[in-house]
Amino acid sequence: MNIVRYSYPYNGSLVPSTSRFYRSPWGAFESEMDRLFASALGELTSTPAGQFPVDLYEDKDNTYVRAELPGVSREDINVEMVDGYLTVSASRKTPAAEGQAEQSSSFSRSVRVPEEVQANLVSAAYENGVLTVTLPKREEAKPKKVTVAVK
Amino acid sequence: MSLFNSLIPSRSREASRTATDNVGPSLKPVYEIKETDEAYGLTVFLPGVAKDGLELTIENQELRVVGRRTWTSPAGWTTVYRESADAPFVLVLTHDNAIDADKIAAELKDGVLRASLPKAEALKPRKITVS
Repeated sequence: MNIVRYSYPYNGSLVPSTSRFYRSPWGAFESEMDRLFASALGELTSTPAGQFPVDLYEDKDNTYVRAELPGVSREDINVEMVDGYLTVSASRKTPAAEGQAEQSSSFSRSVRVPEEVQANLVSAAYENGVLTVTLPKREEAKPKKVTVAVK
Repeated sequence: MSLFNSLIPSRSREASRTATDNVGPSLKPVYEIKETDEAYGLTVFLPGVAKDGLELTIENQELRVVGRRTWTSPAGWTTVYRESADAPFVLVLTHDNAIDADKIAAELKDGVLRASLPKAEALKPRKITVS
């Protein structure tokens, strides 16, 4: 499996503009074409339905996983560690509006955790819609300096 | 040049749009609008945005939501894999005077902005009695 870095579409125009007030005659056409492609290719260019963006970081003591899960309450988030895979699953309930039943959607993603992890010390925090899971590395996995005496 | 711009209506409208250019590359957030008789309900997903990173302005028939993430990775963290982007979220909605700007109520919780945009009085459905 290949991990390909995903780049978000950005709202700049392809036509270079020389002054702030210049508006290329192609501007409207370009944005229409962007919209057309975005709606036609919607499923292919964005993360597949039921998934959320995940970032992986590490420092010498811990591995960190950050997941973007806006609008989910803490009880609905499940974080599980099985055999080097971290699974984050969440369900989001939309509050019932008049004439509509309560809808709920669920997401789940598994991430391979690169280093050996002390499974009992894993902690997670949810702030501003972003879940940060801290996975402390096992002692043997931490980078260590070994000085070798040369005879 | 500015006289020329002010004489031609479409160019004078462009001049007021420079606010967008300052933000640079941006992301369009996921959003949803529900309509009731009284108001529009707007829900925008802005993960990682706290109240101090959020700007909600309404100007010239345009409602603009700009959300900036305030979190930066601490020094010492190396990035192994990234799927999210650091670009700010920008959402621009035009409304043609359909919203009463003074009565907008908005709340940001857990990365979700929920705003209630009351409809302008003239647009509410009303009964007309025939004499």
